[in-house]
This record gives sequence, C-alpha cells and structure tokens, in this order.
Amino acid sequence: MSSFTTECYQNEYIQLGGSEVNAIVTVTSDGAAGQTTQPEAAEIVIIDTSGSMGAPSQKLAAAREATSIAIDCIRDGVAFGVIAGTEVARTVYPPYETLVTASSQTRSEAKRALRRLEPAGGTAIGSWLTLAGTLFATVPGRSCHAILLTDGENQTETDEQLDEVLTELEGRFQCDCRGVGTDWRVSELRRIASTLLGSVDIIAKPGDIAGDFRALMETAMGKATGNVSLRLWAPQGANIAFVRQVAPTIEDLTDRAVPVNDLTSDYPTATWGRESRDYHVCINVQPRDAGEEMLAGRISLVEGDETRAQALVKAIWTADEHLSTQINREVAHYTGQAELADCIQEGLEARKDGDLATATFKLGRAVQLAAESGNDGTMKLLQGVVEVDDPATGTIRLRRDVATVDEMSLDTRSTITVRVGPGAT
Amino acid sequence: MSVVCPLGHQSQATDYCDQCGALIVAGSPGGGTTQVLGVLEEVDTSPAVRREPCPACGAPRSGDDRYCEGCGHDFLGPPPVVAGWEAIVTADRAQFDRLAVAGVSFPSDYPERRFALADGENRIGRSRGQPDENAPEIDLAGPLADPGISRLHAVLERRSDGLYVLRDLGSTNGTMVNDDPVPIAPHTAVPLANGDRVHVGAWTTITVRKR
Repeated sequence: MSSFTTECYQNEYIQLGGSEVNAIVTVTSDGAAGQTTQPEAAEIVIIDTSGSMGAPSQKLAAAREATSIAIDCIRDGVAFGVIAGTEVARTVYPPYETLVTASSQTRSEAKRALRRLEPAGGTAIGSWLTLAGTLFATVPGRSCHAILLTDGENQTETDEQLDEVLTELEGRFQCDCRGVGTDWRVSELRRIASTLLGSVDIIAKPGDIAGDFRALMETAMGKATGNVSLRLWAPQGANIAFVRQVAPTIEDLTDRAVPVNDLTSDYPTATWGRESRDYHVCINVQPRDAGEEMLAGRISLVEGDETRAQALVKAIWTADEHLSTQINREVAHYTGQAELADCIQEGLEARKDGDLATATFKLGRAVQLAAESGNDGTMKLLQGVVEVDDPATGTIRLRRDVATVDEMSLDTRSTITVRVGPGAT
Repeated sequence: MSVVCPLGHQSQATDYCDQCGALIVAGSPGGGTTQVLGVLEEVDTSPAVRREPCPACGAPRSGDDRYCEGCGHDFLGPPPVVAGWEAIVTADRAQFDRLAVAGVSFPSDYPERRFALADGENRIGRSRGQPDENAPEIDLAGPLADPGISRLHAVLERRSDGLYVLRDLGSTNGTMVNDDPVPIAPHTAVPLANGDRVHVGAWTTITVRKR
C-alpha cells in the first residue's frame, strides 16, 4: 500500500473583516510499487480506425505499432482489451465484448489481431467510450484506465451525444487522450480527458505515438492505488470558491464535488503512482475577531473509506497588516500559472476570431507570466506563435504565419505548470 | 471521543471543531466522555488577542498594555473599587446537578468572570465569536461557553430607583432566579435584590450584587 504525505503552504493571517483563505497543498505518493496490495487493473486501448487514419498510410501503421508496444507493457494479471473506433465501435481483441487476463499468450493474440485493422469510416468518439465502459463493467472492482488515440474531430455524432456519454461514464474509468496530426479539436479531447480524469496531448508525428504509448502504459502500470479522492471539509457558513489541481497540470475540480455531508465534499483524483501533485483551494469563511484562530479547511486523501493523509488550512485574524498582506509564494506562483493557462487559451481564441488586439494583449501577458515563473516549456511553445520583444513587460508581436501544429501544441499544453523555483516569486 | 468547542458544538475532531472550525485547546483527555477543554488564558498567546474588558470601566482591551486606554486602570494592580453593581459569572455545580442536562458535562476549571453593570441595558447571551457590534454586554461566548445559553438570553436593566430588573428575552432554555425551579415568564421584568442568583444554561449562575 502506498503512503501519502501532504504539505500545506499558506499565509494563515487574515486581515480583520477578511474572509478569503488560500492554500496550496502538495500531495505526494511514494507509489510503493510491487507490493501485494496493488489493485487489480484493467486497460483498454482505443484506436481511431476511421478513413483518415489511412492518409497518410503510415498513420494507422504507427498506431498499430504503438498499441503493440503498449500491450507489451501490460503486466500479467491485468484485464485488457483493444477497441477500434469509426462511426461505431467494435472490439479488436478479444473478439467478443469482454476483457481478457494478460499473459504472454493473450498479449501475442492481441498483437496479431491488430494486423486486421483497416482504415474506413467516420468518427464517433462517444460510441467508442461507451463500448469501453461496457467492457470495464465486466470486471467490477478493478481500477480502469484507457488510452484513446484519434486523428480527427467527432463527426458522426453531436456534441450533445458526446456530453451525454461523458456524464454517464464520469467516474467509471480514467482516459488519457492523444490527438495525432492536426485535424482533431483540442477543446473536444480536453473535455473528454478532463471529465475522465486523464491527460490530453498532441502527437505531431505518427512516429512518436509508440514512445508516448509506452510511457502512458508504464505510468498506468505503476499506479499503486485504487481511486483516491481529495476530501475537503469546510466549516459551517463557509463557501468553497474553488478547488483546482495546479501541478503538474491545471485542472479545475470545483464542479466535480461529490457531497459527503453538509460540510464535506469529495473531489476525484483517480489513481496515484509515485508522483506528486499540487492543489489550490480557496475558501471563503465568516470573519472572526482579532487573534481568533479557526480551521478553514481540512483536506484529506481518502482511498475507499480510509484517510491516508491530511492537511489543515488555517485562518488567524490579525490587525497587523504586515502579517495579513503577505502573499504566500506558492499561492502567488500558482495563481500566476492559472492565469497563464487562461491567457493562452483566450489569446488563441481571440486570434482565431481575428481579434488581434485582444490576442496580442493576452499572449503578451502569457509571455510575461511564463518568463516570471520560469515556465520554459510554455515559453518555448509561445515563441512558436508570437515574436517576443521583451519578456519582462510582455511586449510581443503576433507571428503572421503560424504552423497549425505549433498553435495546437501551445493550446494543448497550456495547462502544464511548473513548480515554484528556488527564489521565484 | 467527542469534545465541545468554544462555541458549544459537539465535535468528533479534537483539534478544531468539525462544525465551525474553532480552535479546540488540548486539555486533559477524557476516556470516552464529553470533555470541555481548556480556558481562554491558555489559548491567547499572541499579542493581538482579545482579553477581558477592563474591570474598572468595562472598556474593551487588547494587546499587552498594562494600563486601560479608557480609564488608565492598572491591570497588574489591585482590583478596582468602584461603586455600582456587578454580575459575577460562575460555573455552578449544584445547578448543573439539579438540571442534569444530557450530553453536557460540567467544566472543571471555569474561571469566575465579573462584569460591571452599566446604567442601561446589560444583555446576557453568547456572541458568534465574530466582530459584532451587537454582541451582548455580558457575553458568555468563549472556550467554555455554556451550550444552554441562547444568543440573546436575558437582560439586566437598571431602574430609576437604582435597582436592577431581569427580563428573559424568550431564551430557548429559560432563566431561573435563586432556588425557584420554575423559569421566570419571558419578556416580564423581575426585580432583583442585592445578591440574587440568576441561573441560565446548563450550569451558569450569575450573581448580581452591589460592590
């Protein structure tokens, strides 16, 4: 069983009459891999086999190769299967609607079955996910994870149909989404990945799918916990302004709250390997008198009914403005990272709409925030879209000719954050 | 084990109240029983803490100043000798045993509190522990608050003849005087004599006397 530790960063001093309490909570899991209590897993790889996957022809070949490598990473005993998706979904392996237990024999059979994949038909991602849900339902109690690869946007079903499917499947399995090429829609895959607690990324070149799939499957196999929730208690009269994951990526969890009782809600965080994530919670509480201390939030990591770690968010009211006006470094940093992601998404949206003034302003601010926080990865992606004149002031010029892949990479990876660097503000 | 928080909530959590988040001060652990823990003086170690009002003039007092900002009274010196009336609040074991309210335990270490009575209204109650202009003059909130006291429980009013009358303000659990087990009628003035005892809540007795 893996163990969790938490650290809480905040300025607990609140000015008199003030009500907003902010804290960053770092949760670390040691992963404790290889232990016998490791939960039984189930894995499904969903490959887009629509007609476009055959153009160019190496796209489907690369997906087949990557799936084959992913299958090799599945350890013995894990229930697994492969789904091919077009305007309908069908099982590639096993050939009937269930999952099989991984062994050297079933892995070889699955890889052989991949050869039969042919590109033809449309794209109805909702139906693929529905089939995955049906297959996962045959192995209750397992921790379920899927990898979805597509190269196009959802065409043969409506947004509403996809929404219905997502509402139905939320919490049933985790799904990492990958878009290959540049003909898919970032917002669509982000919505799916976000609802199903997975990641989303762009794979520009078909040749890179294999490496990515291997990494995804190895990460999935390294998960040492079942479903873990972030449980947040806040006192009577308090109001949760937001709960968001802020590292390694930004993910707003506020609307995911599952009430436990009047004062407590659970926010799903899916499975954990050896990793560390940061959360930003913002709670409004009823102001109290100078010198009074109260608990504004109790954050627990809960697996099943068991509390695995806890962090306390406190509030102490003071008339001393030296104390109350200091902004905690971690809170400031992640507030900036959230703004950075928003600026990029809003800037790109404005650019698409032809509102170049807003695009320049937003992307300029993004450059400034990326420079301040030392988010070099995002800065590099920004430079694919804008010409940076002065990062300190955010003075930029929009590039005239931007490669679609650069724009989509920036959009997809806009939510990737960096941790507080030494000496960073 | 559950504890009672400063605002009177039953809490399963023993560090902070699991209802209102108030800090619960660690005291003697009690095996399986409800415990009322700690006293105000132990909580407040920071300079900006709220303290008892000045015993001489009743002015609010904060910080570590030695002298009252209102009347200059020396907090380290002997208690003030001021003509007038005062209310002395104590935890009354006999009253507690008489009422035997289920789920409430008797605070073993309740400090006697004295309130100088003003000329006008002296309301008895429990504030919500927030900055509150409307807090009662005799505010019995605090770490050891008696859970049976209403927010606005009763009022002591000085009449023109210099004596005080007691009125219950429609409290939940009623107000009793001296040894009479029958609560006084709500919203009805009851004259008090020097040394009369006013019983509110599960164990609080307020002795009203001339000083």
